[in-house]
Amino acid sequence: MDDRKIQIVIDSLWPMIKAALQYTITLALISFVLGLVLAVVVALVRVWKIPVLNQIAIFYVWVIRGTPLLVQLFIIFYGLPSIGIKFDPFPAAVIAFTLNMGAYNSEIVRAAIQSISKGQWEAAFSLGMTRVQALWRIILPQAARVSVPPLSNSFISLVKDTSLAYTVTVVELFQVSKQITATTYEPLLLYMEAAVIYLAICTILNALQNVMEKRLSRFSTQ
Amino acid sequence: MIEIRNLHKSFGSLQVLNGIDLSLEKGKVLVIIGPSGSGKTTLLRCLNLLETPDAGSLKLGEASIEFDGRRKIDKQQVLKLRQSTGMVFQSYNLFPHKTALENVMEAQIVVQKRDKNAARKRSLELLAKVGLSGKEDSYPHQLSGGQQQRVGIARALATDPEVMLFDEPTSALDPELVGEVLKVMKELAAEGMTMVVVTHEMKFAAEAADTVVLMDGGVILEQGPPQKVLQNPSSERASQFLNLLTAKE
Repeated sequence: MDDRKIQIVIDSLWPMIKAALQYTITLALISFVLGLVLAVVVALVRVWKIPVLNQIAIFYVWVIRGTPLLVQLFIIFYGLPSIGIKFDPFPAAVIAFTLNMGAYNSEIVRAAIQSISKGQWEAAFSLGMTRVQALWRIILPQAARVSVPPLSNSFISLVKDTSLAYTVTVVELFQVSKQITATTYEPLLLYMEAAVIYLAICTILNALQNVMEKRLSRFSTQ
Repeated sequence: MIEIRNLHKSFGSLQVLNGIDLSLEKGKVLVIIGPSGSGKTTLLRCLNLLETPDAGSLKLGEASIEFDGRRKIDKQQVLKLRQSTGMVFQSYNLFPHKTALENVMEAQIVVQKRDKNAARKRSLELLAKVGLSGKEDSYPHQLSGGQQQRVGIARALATDPEVMLFDEPTSALDPELVGEVLKVMKELAAEGMTMVVVTHEMKFAAEAADTVVLMDGGVILEQGPPQKVLQNPSSERASQFLNLLTAKE
């Protein structure tokens, strides 16, 4: 590699990392947390088969899982304005990713809750706990542990999917690498650099997942 | 203390309880025996409404409930009934993410809203009572089956129930560990706890029961003091079943 190329890499490092911190990570974190709350609500509606809400939940999960994230993004940012609903780029991306995470993660949470043996519910009920008390104190703590691997998976995927936000004009990590490529004509170099930054973020997340799994397996032999 | 009248329960097309009439005085021990599928576990689970009967009536302590299959039972009634009963499960069902002490404290704090220190004190007493002093901070997976079941008994006792319900408490235990659990149960009985026990342990029935009930096909075949039911059953089916059981021992 000649000096010019090395200089390009060095000069583009901070702008890319800045975009990653400002947009990629914040977008992923906010959307994941909001999406998780939504996922738990949807999962509970499905597990307890709450009338009406259950049908809405099934419909929601079906639509979101059955359409591409990219198309969902476009509908929210480019499509809705024609019926008078306008969002700025960042909020639009958050909404799309949140709805997406909510649907996919609701299935993870639902499976995790259903994997906790019925005996746990029965023990809690036999002690006089309400459904909500049993859920909060006994079931969810155990379900949380079970759901760490698939939810980590989901989060890591989301971090990479945030690159789609460039299509709705969010100047996140990938968009920055595209912009710099446009002025320096070094696509291989810059897209590789972007890839490495994504890889670094995901590697850290992998390590965090391992730490969480170790900490949560303190009280079981499984 | 407990009065059951004409209890019926079916799961789909399977009629599991076919008209059960039973009563139990305070301080007495009722042991229910019978072949698999006789409905004995379902009957037990109706006592704390883990199963809801389709018809009949249940009186337990102050609670009095009529069942008609359609009407939903008032939630508060269910919770109150469950607080006045304690259940011990065949597979212990301890909360794995909590220590033995926390398992016993849980209901006191969450359901009865007791002060944490009072709950801790009471829990330590109960764990000592079942012979597990020193094991308060152990997690269930660190305890043997017999120890886990004794934690289960302490946990069920923590809400000061009027009736203790045991669902085959020793069926999942190694033979060497069965004794320590039966010992705790016998002590409870001697102290005057009203108990309903579903079990295959004939010796326990013979020694600790005031009344033995033998069920089959969702009905009561035999009912009476242990000497009568176990030594001198009046029905053919009962004799068959008891011979099988004593042959196994």
